[in-house]
Amino acid sequence: MKKLKRILIANRGEIAVRIMRTARKMGIETVAVRTAVEPDAMYLSFADIIHEEDDEMAEIPVFLDVEKLISIALKTKCDSVHPGYGFLAENAWFAEKCRDNKIIFVGPSPDAIYKMGNKPVARQIAMKHKIPMAMGTPGSVASEDEAVRHAARIGYPVIIKAASGGGGRGMRIVRQESEMEKMFILASREAEKAFNDPSVFIEKYIENPKHIEFQILGDTLGNIIHLGERECSIQRKHQKLLEEAPSPALDDELRAKMGETAVKIARAVGYYSAGTVEFLLDSDRNFYFMEMNTRIQVEHPVTEMITGIDLIEQQIRIASGEELSIRQEDVRLTGWAIECRINAEDVQAGFAPAPGRIEKISFPDEPGVRVDTGVRAGSSIVASYDSMIAKLIVTGKDRHEAVINTKKALDKVWIKGTKTTLPFFRMLMRNHVFQAGTFTTAFIEKDLEKYHNSSEYEESIAAWIATKLFVEENLSETKSGINFEQGRELTPWLLRKRLTQF
Amino acid sequence: MTPQKPAIKKLYALSNEGRKFPFVLPLKNVIRVNGRDYSVELREDEKYGVHVLWKNRRYPVEIVRTKQNRYEILFNDISHTFTVETPVSMQRRKVLGAGRKKNSSLVVRAPMPGKIIDVMTRDGAEVVRGEALVILEAMKMQNEIQSVVSGTVTRIGVKAGQNVMKDDILAEITVK
Repeated sequence: MKKLKRILIANRGEIAVRIMRTARKMGIETVAVRTAVEPDAMYLSFADIIHEEDDEMAEIPVFLDVEKLISIALKTKCDSVHPGYGFLAENAWFAEKCRDNKIIFVGPSPDAIYKMGNKPVARQIAMKHKIPMAMGTPGSVASEDEAVRHAARIGYPVIIKAASGGGGRGMRIVRQESEMEKMFILASREAEKAFNDPSVFIEKYIENPKHIEFQILGDTLGNIIHLGERECSIQRKHQKLLEEAPSPALDDELRAKMGETAVKIARAVGYYSAGTVEFLLDSDRNFYFMEMNTRIQVEHPVTEMITGIDLIEQQIRIASGEELSIRQEDVRLTGWAIECRINAEDVQAGFAPAPGRIEKISFPDEPGVRVDTGVRAGSSIVASYDSMIAKLIVTGKDRHEAVINTKKALDKVWIKGTKTTLPFFRMLMRNHVFQAGTFTTAFIEKDLEKYHNSSEYEESIAAWIATKLFVEENLSETKSGINFEQGRELTPWLLRKRLTQF
Repeated sequence: MTPQKPAIKKLYALSNEGRKFPFVLPLKNVIRVNGRDYSVELREDEKYGVHVLWKNRRYPVEIVRTKQNRYEILFNDISHTFTVETPVSMQRRKVLGAGRKKNSSLVVRAPMPGKIIDVMTRDGAEVVRGEALVILEAMKMQNEIQSVVSGTVTRIGVKAGQNVMKDDILAEITVK
C-alpha cells in the first residue's frame, strides 16, 4: 500500500475542481495545469501547485498530450495522475505510460481499459460470460429462410437493416415469424434501391429502451461491488441531459439482477477503481449489456447523493492499494437525486452551443442542493472545450419530492452572459411523462414538441422591455440609467446613437 | 438631431411569431394580459445585473442583439425577438409587406464559428422546411443547420472541410 501524496489533475473544469476538493479533504496535494485558452479558469484556484503550460502554439490540448502530461507529472513530483472524464480518461496507452514511469494512474488497469474500450473484444468477453446482449447476425443474411432461423435464435422483435445503409432506409421491424418473408423482401428491395446493395442483416430490436447504468467499485484485491443504478434515458442525440438515481423503472429484484450482471462483467476483466456498466432495458424488463465506461462519469454525483459514498475518494483509496471498506450488503440507497446538466446551449436553436462570457452566476445555497461547477462570474465558456456550465444536483426523500425540489432550485439559478439549457429543465420538471418516470431514450427527440415553455405573461414582459429600449434609444430625453450592455461591446449602431445624443 | 416631430402616442412590439403587443406612450411600468394590468419594473444592481421585478420575483433580462428597431430579449433565459413599430412605420410595413410576399429570399448564416463537416444540399435543389443544409461542427458537437423555409437553394456559400466564422453565409434560399 502506498498512500498518495501529490496528484496531477490531467483535466479542467468542474471535474478538476471536484477531484481537488476530495484530495484536499484527504490531505493530498494537487497539481493543476494552466493553459493558454483558460488562463484564469476557476479550477486553478483549487490547486496547491499550478503548472504553467505554454501551449498557445500546441497542436492538441495538453490534456490529450500523453508525453507532455507524463513529463509534467515527473517535473512536479507527482506520484499519481487523475484523468477525470473525457480527454485521456479511457486511453489505455496513457495508463500504460503512467505505469512505465512509476506514476499511479487513478483508474483501472491498462488491460481493463483496452478490453472494455474495444467493442468487439468487449462483446466477446460478455458473450463468453453469458451476459445478455442485443444479439445480431455476424454478417449479412442471404435468404428469408436464413432470416427466420436467425430471428428464432435472437428472439422477436428483430430489426432488418441494410448492410450498407443508414438513416432509417432499408430498415424493417419484424414482430413475428409470419411477417418475416414479406419484410425481408421489402427491406432488401429498399436497400438495393437506396444503396445499390440488397444485402441486409438482422439484429435484436429493443423497443423503447431505457438507458440504465450501474456504478461499480472494485479494489486491487478482487473485491467488486455495485452502488445501484442511474437512469440516463433523458438524452438527445446520445448526449445525456439529465440523470437520476435510482431509476423509477427498477425494483429491488431487478436491481439485484442487473447489479450482479454488472459485477460479473467487471470481474471478467479484473476491474478495479470506479466504473460504469451501461444497459438497455426494454419494456418487458429484459436488459442488454451495451458497454462499460472505465472512468468516473459526469453523472457520478447522483450515486454519491443516494449512497453517501464519495466516489473520487474511493478511486484514490483503491489506487493506493487499499481494500474496499464497503461490502455489497452495506450499500443502502436512500432518497432520490436528480442531476441537470446546465450547458451553454441555445435550447431554442436545437441545443446549438452558445459560447460566451459568464457575467453573473449564482445558485441556491440550501440543504439538498449540490452544485458542481468549474465556472464563476467572469469565466468564459470557450468553443474548444465542452459547453458545461454546472451540474445542479437536487435530492428529495422520494422521486416526487426530488422533482419538486429540482423545480424550485432551477427557478433560483441565475446565469447571465450566455444562453443556457435552464428553460429545457424548467419545462421538463412540469412535463407529465417526466413526472411519471415512464420515459424512454426516444422521449426527448420523438415525444416532446417543444424544448421550452414560455407563458403569455413572459412574452408580454419581453415585449415591454423591447418597447422600453426603443423608447430610450429613440424618443426619450430622460434615461433610466440602466446599462443593458453589461460589458458587451457596443454595436456600432448603438454607439452612434449614444454619440449623437450627447 | 432634429427635434421630435408630432409626438408618438403608441408603439407596437411585433413578435417573430406575428403577435402584436401595443403600448401607450409615455410608457408606464405596466403590462396588460387578458385585459388585466400587471406592474413590472426594470432594475439593475451589482449582484443580479439587469432584471425585471414582477409579482415580487426577480427575472433575469439580457439584451442579446439590437439592430435598428429589432430587439432580441432574453427574459427568464428564453429568447424573444421583436420589432418595435410606430403607428406610421406599422402602416408602411403593411404596404411593403403586401408587395414583398413572393420570391423573397432567405440568407442562412452560421449560428456559431465552427467547421463545415458536410454540405447536404446543392445549388438549385428544392428544400423543405426542416431539411438539413449543412452539418456544422462546433464544441465537439455536430449541428445540423436546417432550412427554416421551403424553397429553392440559389447559392451555397461553403464547402465541406471549410472553417466558418459566426454569421458567415452558408446558403441562400428563395422562398416558394
